[in-house]
Amino acid sequence: MRKLVILTLLPLVLLGACGGGGGGGTTTPPPPPPPTQMLATAGPPNVEPLVMDAGPAALATAQETAVNTAFVSVKICIPNGGACQTIDHIEVDTGSSGLRVLASSDSPFTLNLPSEMSAGGLPIAECLQFADGSAFGPVATADITLPTSGKTLTNVNVQVIGATGWTVPSDCPGTAENTVVLFGANGILGVGPFLQDCGAACTQTPPIAGTYYTCPTPSTCAAATVTTAQQVPNPVSLFATDNNGVIVEMPAIASGGATNPSKGVLVFGIGTETNNALGSATVLLASDSDGFILASYNGTTNLNAALDSGSNATFFTDSTIPTCTDNASFYCPTSTLNLTATLTGTDNTMATANFTVVNADSVFNANSMATAMPGLSGPIGALPGNNIMIQFDLGMPFFFGRNVFTAIENQTTPGGTGPYYAF
Amino acid sequence: MKLTRIVLFPALLAALAAAPAFAALGGDVSSVQADLAHMKGALRVTTNAAVTVHEISTTYGTSVREFTGADGKVFAVSWSGPVNPDLRQVLGSYYPQFAQAASTTHGSHRRLNIEQPGLVVQNVGRLRAFAGRAWVPSMLPVNFSIDDIK
Repeated sequence: MRKLVILTLLPLVLLGACGGGGGGGTTTPPPPPPPTQMLATAGPPNVEPLVMDAGPAALATAQETAVNTAFVSVKICIPNGGACQTIDHIEVDTGSSGLRVLASSDSPFTLNLPSEMSAGGLPIAECLQFADGSAFGPVATADITLPTSGKTLTNVNVQVIGATGWTVPSDCPGTAENTVVLFGANGILGVGPFLQDCGAACTQTPPIAGTYYTCPTPSTCAAATVTTAQQVPNPVSLFATDNNGVIVEMPAIASGGATNPSKGVLVFGIGTETNNALGSATVLLASDSDGFILASYNGTTNLNAALDSGSNATFFTDSTIPTCTDNASFYCPTSTLNLTATLTGTDNTMATANFTVVNADSVFNANSMATAMPGLSGPIGALPGNNIMIQFDLGMPFFFGRNVFTAIENQTTPGGTGPYYAF
Repeated sequence: MKLTRIVLFPALLAALAAAPAFAALGGDVSSVQADLAHMKGALRVTTNAAVTVHEISTTYGTSVREFTGADGKVFAVSWSGPVNPDLRQVLGSYYPQFAQAASTTHGSHRRLNIEQPGLVVQNVGRLRAFAGRAWVPSMLPVNFSIDDIK
C-alpha cells in the first residue's frame, strides 16, 4: 500500500479570519507585546504555592529527576475528624481530573479511608489509564485541605493508587504505575477542564473495561458502571467558592534552565477574587466532548491541542526537527528554534502561541541540576492524522512566564462557560 | 486506490467469535476474530492487493485496527478512542517484550514511545482520548509506509 492521502478540510471562514500561522490572509496587525506578568501571592483564600524541584525522594533514590513538574502538598484526612496526613510532591495536572495519592508515598500513606461504595454495597476501585500505563487502586472518601490557601472539601472521592492488599484486574491495560518511581510523583491533583475523570462514558451499560470496578473482595474486582457522583471528581469544582477553574502561574525561566524556581502558584477560581481576574487573557473555548482547542502549525490546521501542565515538554510534530540521538522522545535542533502556532477556540477566537524548541541534550549537559527547563520539546508520535488524540500538546514550558487559565466544564466565569483555556 | 469494504453481519460475527484465541500482533488472521470476540465489537474489513485492515469498533468508542499482509499475519495494530484497548490481547505474544520495555521507560503520562529492533509501540493521550499503534518492523510488507498505520 502506498501512502494514503490525508484530506484535511480547511474551514474557509476560519482561514479568512486568521492572521497568524494558519496560513490565511495577513491583514490582522501583529498583537501587542504581552503585559508584564503578575504572579499572585500564596495564601488564603485561594492561592497555593507550586514547588518545581527534582520530585519525591523516591525518584532521587532511583536516580531519576523530575523536570518541569509542578507540585503541591495536600492534607488528607479520614472524614468526620479522623486522622490526617499531609502528602507532598503531588503533581498539578491541568490535563486530568481528580486527586490521587500513591499508597507508597515518601511518607507512606497509611490512612484507612472509607471506601466509596456502589449502590449494591460493594467497594469501588478505579484503573486510571495513561498513555504509558495505568494506575489502579480503590476509590475512597476523604476530607482534604490545600494547606496554604486553606481550601477544604469534606467527603470527596479520591483514588488511593497501589493500596496494599489490592490486586490489579487483568483488564486494567498497560504497565502498572502503582509506585512513586513508576508514577513519577506521590500523587496527582487533576485540575483539568472536566468535572470528573471519566464522565458520561463510565455511566453507560455495559461498563467499559479498564475504568471503574466494583470489588466483592480486593482481589476480585469486576468492571462496573458508576454514576458521575461515584467517580473521582475535579476537586476544584466542589469548592464552596473559587470553583470555576484554576490559574497556573509560573515565573519566566531563564534560558539554560533553573533549579527549584520559586514564586510559582496555583490559583483557584477565575474572576472570583481580586487576584484571579482574566485581565487581557484571550479565552479559547474548548470542545465540550474532548476538551481540545485547535492549533495550526507550519501549514497544518485543525490539530487537537491543549495547555497541559501535566506534560513536561511541548509535544508536536515537525519532521524537520531532529530528535535526540540518545532519547528520541525529545527534539535536538542544531540551534534553539523560535516557533509559532495559532490556537483557535470553538467560537473561532484565535491566539498566537509563541514557543521555543531547545536542544534537549545540550541544555541538560550544560545544566544537569535544572528542574525547570524552557523550550523542552519532543515529537508527539503515534497516529498521523488521527482526529481523536491530542496533536499539539503545549506542556509546562509554555506555562513559564504566563498565567494559564483552565476553566471547568459547565462552570460560569466572567470569560464565559467552561471548558476553556486562556492566557 | 480503490478500497473495498466488507461489512460482516451479526450471524457471521457470531460464527467468527468461536475462533480460537490466538494472539494479535504477529499472529495470523484468526487472531482478529479472537480480538473481535474479546472486545465484543463490530468488524469492518478494508483491503487492497497487499494489505488488509480489520477494524474492530467497540460499543464504548474505542476502535482497533489490525493490519495483515499477504501472508495473513498481523504486522501492525493501531487503536483510538476514550480508553486504551486491552494491550495483552492486542499485542499478543509481543506483550511481554512491551511490558519489559515499558517498565523501564519512565516518561510522560501523556505519551509512550518504545522503539526496539523487533517492536515499536507508540501511544498518546489521556483518559477520554487515546490513540496508539504498534508494529513489528521485520514484518512490514515491501513498500509499506508506517505512515499508513493509523
